[in-house]
Amino acid sequence: MSSNNMSDPRRQNKILRYKPPSTETNPTLEDPTPDYMNLLGMIFSMCGLMLKLKWCAWIAVYCSFISFANSRSSEDTKQMMSSFMLSISAVVMSYLQNPQPMSPPW
Amino acid sequence: MRALPLLLLFLLALPVSRGRYNDDFDDGEDLADFDDNDFAEFEELSEDTVTEPEDSPPPRYTSPSTADEDEDDEATVELEEGQDGFDDPETQDQDLYSKYDQEEFEGIGDMEKTSHSMKDPLIIHTVPAHLQNSWESYYMEILMVTGLLAYIMNYIIGKNKNSRLAHAWFNSHRELLESNFALVGDDGTSKEAVSTGTLNQENEHIYNLWCSGRVCCEGMLIQLKFLKRQDLLNVLARMMRPACDQVQIKVTLNDEDMDTFVFAVGTKKAMARLQKEMQDLSEFCGDKPKSGAKFGLPESLAILSEMGEVTDGVMDNKMVHYITNHADKIESIHFSDQFSGPKLMQEEGQPLKLPETKKTLLFTFNVPGMGHPSPRDMDALLPLMNMVIYSIDKVKKLRLNREGKQKADRNRARVEENFLKQTHAQRQEAAQSRREEKKRAEKERIMNEEDPERQRRLEEAAQRREQKKMEKKQMKMKQIKVKAM
Repeated sequence: MSSNNMSDPRRQNKILRYKPPSTETNPTLEDPTPDYMNLLGMIFSMCGLMLKLKWCAWIAVYCSFISFANSRSSEDTKQMMSSFMLSISAVVMSYLQNPQPMSPPW
Repeated sequence: MRALPLLLLFLLALPVSRGRYNDDFDDGEDLADFDDNDFAEFEELSEDTVTEPEDSPPPRYTSPSTADEDEDDEATVELEEGQDGFDDPETQDQDLYSKYDQEEFEGIGDMEKTSHSMKDPLIIHTVPAHLQNSWESYYMEILMVTGLLAYIMNYIIGKNKNSRLAHAWFNSHRELLESNFALVGDDGTSKEAVSTGTLNQENEHIYNLWCSGRVCCEGMLIQLKFLKRQDLLNVLARMMRPACDQVQIKVTLNDEDMDTFVFAVGTKKAMARLQKEMQDLSEFCGDKPKSGAKFGLPESLAILSEMGEVTDGVMDNKMVHYITNHADKIESIHFSDQFSGPKLMQEEGQPLKLPETKKTLLFTFNVPGMGHPSPRDMDALLPLMNMVIYSIDKVKKLRLNREGKQKADRNRARVEENFLKQTHAQRQEAAQSRREEKKRAEKERIMNEEDPERQRRLEEAAQRREQKKMEKKQMKMKQIKVKAM
């Protein structure tokens, strides 16, 4: 018994619960990519809708995908879904108003 | 001479054709329909001729006759008499046309012109892309959709790869961890402290594991920071700049588990970076990183230490052995009793209080494979975990001698003093502003007092207090002057 205690370093009474590190104290440690991409996606989709620019709408779709890929699991899905839906609607509206294909910039 | 009989023949043909008209009319057809049919032929020939149809039938009737013979039997001209005359219709037509007065017969010249223009080559313009109805014109859209599909595919593949690597790591380390810690795996949400036995997925590329319940330490947080394989942009960026997956281990200790020292060892690049970034390393380890070769380590590693005694204490044979054997996987090892994280960038100047410190051991290991590890590479990290456990036990036993302890205490006092000096100006300002606030509040109270009597009394009281303060200050100044003398 005593040898077991000596070699076994585990102590049930010393258990401490996990506390997620607070991000308010260390804002630099957080990855800002999903937030930036979310914002960019919204801006591009609004541009695409208002100015009827197809390429803006497509870039917005890409931005929302990138934001989703980089997001933390703690972030709620509603935000992601709303930006995603907004970008898809921007693309659809651009094509409904103007069914011509997109012309490349060159 | 020759022209006269031709003309006569033609004039004869006229009543024949007219007769034909009459026949048709006798058949009972509508005059309008009849006219339309006839004149439609003429209109086919040239659009420009807007002449009265009655005038033009004779000259024009001959040219379309050859074309429309099949279509309209009724419209065939019985030119048996004049057949010889019209063997060569083209030239004869032209002769006839030239005979006709330009003024009388409008549009004949135009007809000549149109017959010429019909001989010019036809130019076929290409239909612009947006008016075509083919899929090929939408090639940009198809490109975009293909790009999106590629992104989604990469997301799925990257996510799965990261997940497989994480579980491979956990499977190889599970036994060691479970034999050392009472609690392996906790997300902090469950009511009872029961081991979940699983990794905590924070992200598609970051996995956490919290272990607790051991002698010599409070707990250990392991973070598997993989590369962002699920993000295609990151994958493409990594093709330019290769990077490694990392395993970061942070062991927090109780106050009695560690003596007061600050120490770090790692790659030269990492040491240079940490010395600039970390609060405690920049304050306590002011000297440049020393080469590891002096202590038996490989040349690629450097050491930052508070004092030589600490280095000698930490770098015993077993540690040197561990580090030398796995030097390629070690990014940095940082032991500190004054750990408070990286230096905070202040916006309003320095904080008024010293940042909170915690006794910590930090380990950062690189996963072998340079961005393309296989699950088997995770087993290579197992000896490093053994080193971590060994370090925890060692740090508990490591105690500085008397001299070293004094030095360490002096260092800490010095750092605190420096900090207080730097913030002295700020603290003074803060105290001044607080005093002003109090005065203002009192004045306001006096002003708001409605009763004039009470107002006067409060004002007098305030004045007296002010006077007392001034006297006290003067006394202090006098005392200081006396002492100085």
